[in-house]
Amino acid sequence: MGHLLQYILNGLARGSIYSLIALGLVVIYRGTGHLNFAQGEMALFATFGAWWINDHGFPLWISILLAALGAFVGGGLIEYSLIRPAAKKSPFAVVVITIGLFQAFNSLSGLLFKGAATGLPFGTLFPDAPSDFFRLPGGVIWRYENIGVLVTVVIITVLLFVLFQKTKIGLAMRMVANNADSAKLAGVPTNKVLMLSWALSAAIGTIGGCLVAGINANVSLGTMFGVFLLASAAATLGGLDSPIGAVVGGLSLGVVESLVTNYPNDWWGSTYIGADTAIAVAFVIILVVLLVKPSGLFGSTRVERV
Amino acid sequence: MTPERAPLLEVRDLVAGYGAVQVLTGLDITVAEGEVAVMLGANGAGKTTTMRAISGMINRKGTITFRGEALTRRAPDEIVRMGIAQVPQGRGTFTDLTVEENLRAGAYVRKGSGIEADLEEWFGVFPRLRERRSQKAGGLSGGEQQMLAIARALMSRPKLLLCDEPSLGLAPIITQELFDVLKRLNTEQGLSILIVEQNANLALRIAHSVFVLETGSIVASGTAQEISNNDAVRTAYLGY
Amino acid sequence: MTMPIKIRESSPLHWALRVVGVSALAAIAVYFASNAAPSTLGKITEACTLAIAAVSLNLLLGFNGQISLGHSTFAGLAAFTAGYSVNAWHWNPWVSLGVACVLCFALGLLLGLPALRLKGPYLALVTLAVAFVWPTVARKFLQQTVKASTLKGMRLRPPTWTGLANNRVDRALFLFWLSLVLLVITYAIVRNLRKSRIGRSLVAVRDNETAAAVMGVNLPFTKTVTFGISAALAGVAGWLAAAQLATLDENSFSILTSIKYLLALFLGGAATLAGPVVGAFTYFFADDLLKTNAPKWDFLPGPLSKGPVASFLLGVLVIVFVFIAPLGLVGFVKAQGRKLAVVVPPPLRPAPKASDPTAHASPAPAGEVE
Ligand SMILES: Nc1ncnc2c1ncn2[C@@H]1O[C@H](COP(=O)(O)OP(=O)(O)O)[C@@H](O)[C@H]1O
Ligand SMILES: [Mg+2]
Repeated sequence: MGHLLQYILNGLARGSIYSLIALGLVVIYRGTGHLNFAQGEMALFATFGAWWINDHGFPLWISILLAALGAFVGGGLIEYSLIRPAAKKSPFAVVVITIGLFQAFNSLSGLLFKGAATGLPFGTLFPDAPSDFFRLPGGVIWRYENIGVLVTVVIITVLLFVLFQKTKIGLAMRMVANNADSAKLAGVPTNKVLMLSWALSAAIGTIGGCLVAGINANVSLGTMFGVFLLASAAATLGGLDSPIGAVVGGLSLGVVESLVTNYPNDWWGSTYIGADTAIAVAFVIILVVLLVKPSGLFGSTRVERV
Repeated sequence: MTPERAPLLEVRDLVAGYGAVQVLTGLDITVAEGEVAVMLGANGAGKTTTMRAISGMINRKGTITFRGEALTRRAPDEIVRMGIAQVPQGRGTFTDLTVEENLRAGAYVRKGSGIEADLEEWFGVFPRLRERRSQKAGGLSGGEQQMLAIARALMSRPKLLLCDEPSLGLAPIITQELFDVLKRLNTEQGLSILIVEQNANLALRIAHSVFVLETGSIVASGTAQEISNNDAVRTAYLGY
Repeated sequence: MTMPIKIRESSPLHWALRVVGVSALAAIAVYFASNAAPSTLGKITEACTLAIAAVSLNLLLGFNGQISLGHSTFAGLAAFTAGYSVNAWHWNPWVSLGVACVLCFALGLLLGLPALRLKGPYLALVTLAVAFVWPTVARKFLQQTVKASTLKGMRLRPPTWTGLANNRVDRALFLFWLSLVLLVITYAIVRNLRKSRIGRSLVAVRDNETAAAVMGVNLPFTKTVTFGISAALAGVAGWLAAAQLATLDENSFSILTSIKYLLALFLGGAATLAGPVVGAFTYFFADDLLKTNAPKWDFLPGPLSKGPVASFLLGVLVIVFVFIAPLGLVGFVKAQGRKLAVVVPPPLRPAPKASDPTAHASPAPAGEVE
């Protein structure tokens, strides 16, 4: 029992990061019906940016906020200059563009940051000494680092929900997501809303990337690859157009990953089933869920675009 | 005959379509201040296209003047701000938003004051919407959604309301109720309305002026009286 | 003569143009076979392999509208099957090709089943997950067996009737011809499928599922079998890759491989017959050219080699390309070429009998007539 709680706590921290990246995907998907395959690599680039600012003497948290701000501007520019014109050309054009961006941002990181391929040391965001933990009943320990990540993600998620539910901009975003034509007829400048979606998504991704780098104490060209894939799996699981789905999907995948990685070791003392098997298990779960609910746990069943 | 009124909306030589397909081929209509105008036409004649062209939803050529200002080059949000609101065909409900949020969505172009009062006003006119105010609008019946769509459009405080086939898919009794509401809005508040209808008998009862659209241009227009007496129109649209 | 020139489909002129085109391509192949260095032949072989994969993906995505980011997995399955059966069980490589295709077909059918329920982006992400899981499977597999289990070298010999010796130069020549033949076969399969009644139902399903079902197309059957066939053809590409790679490792067929297939397809033009072939050659040689000729960009702090520069430039090129030719190279050329000459359908024959089931099938859209 103690182990179960322990593994869940560990899984929640990682899962919350998947939620965050998945939220970024959802914010874009809701507005435009596009999947941003470059989400992870854009976040990676911005995370290197945060490293660079930090390396120039700024406190780490300030560096992260500055990088997120830069990503916000950059994300909006990408929507304005690439995605919007491409969307007018053909439905596949946007897919190709985001794949091109995926490649361009990954290699650009390698070009601009010396040592990116092998990894750069990233500062830790929360106390992470071996003794930095709470002791819970049953011998369970909750590391400050895991708490910190979870709390950060919760704060950002709550802020996002306040934005969506309580502000006029949020209302406009939900209008565009729900019925773009009616939103236009009501006077919403839909183009600006889509630009804002990309900007927000990029900023959210930056925070996610920095949290990963903080946990790993390192950032390299491969950092976001697996995270993005699990986040996209989380978004699929929850429903691509549902922010709540992204959060639930991310947390569950994090927990599943942790359980599948740790329990077999406890039971059989074998490393044969490792972290990578968790991905296979997660995949089976997603497949089963999608067979029952083709648009995810919380997704709406409106007609989907490619 | 109604007395001469000042023109509110003037459309001249309107040409519009989708990509290479030209649907409207030089269309002229005029809606006067404070009147109810009705556009009749068969399926596919281009009625919806006309409405979308006026609202700026599709590319168009020609001149559209509203209260003396040209709006051919304006974007939909500017046109809403100028005072034209559209109830689109199929109602365009924000199904995932609550009834109240749908109404607030309609007030998107407005600033703060007065929105709450208007909410209450429309809830007064449509009491069923008040009962369902915090339910998802997707769960409303067709008639309720049509009421919601009209109230939503009115939340922007328009001078001109465009209604695209409001009776589509509604039971006759509901349609009747709907037209009563439109009539009242016109007489009590002086709202100008342009209605697209297939149900000509019903529409003619509240119309001041009528346009008949056939494959992209107007083939007959006049007062409701004149059009009801036009034999060709009678056989084609009124069925007697 | 007025532009565009009208060429009647299947008229003598049309056939003459076809013969000229095919002969020109054959002549180019013969020229390379007799003049090019083994390394160049190797590159063409690689490009052909990519082309086979792109053609297989086109059948599924271009003509049937089902996206797959998991085609690398089919190729990987075929490569591992071939490598393992030939090395561990000493199977005949040709038998391994057949078995690999059957396995891929089965896996394709299996993946086609959930695909029935899933729409565009969900299908994209599920197939992405398949591609993501594959390296794990491959790693587990490799733990059980020897590495380096490919068909390279001695294991896939030129048959004696070819007159080719079993040395490095002749093997390269053999693989070159083999890849060309397999590409032609794959292309012919997809082309004939596309031009047949089945092809029309594929496209009908892509354009409007409900309408297709009403027209009597068996949706589940059509969609899953298309997935199966496409997977089997991707298996051909995988098998061919196993004949070229020195070793197979878990990353030989990663998501990046799937992305490469996808880019090759879009570059050439999805939903056109020639598109994936043209796209594959363009992609492969653009990539190759960039890798050898990219500047080193020493003024930037990061790069230790040309690799990242080439990769960055390729990404940028892809983006720029989308704006120049959003429908791919073949789409672009067709649009330009249509101003010069068009192929028109033959004049209508006397009214077909009412019982003729094909009488009501729609003709191929003008853009897809060869
Ligand atoms: N989005 C569109 N793309 C292409 N053609 C369209 C589109 N919408 C409508 N049309 C065509 O325009 C013509 C007029 O349509 P519409 O204005 O909707 O007619 P109405 O509202 O009078 O029934 C029809 O022939 C229709 O097929
Ligand atoms: Mg209409």
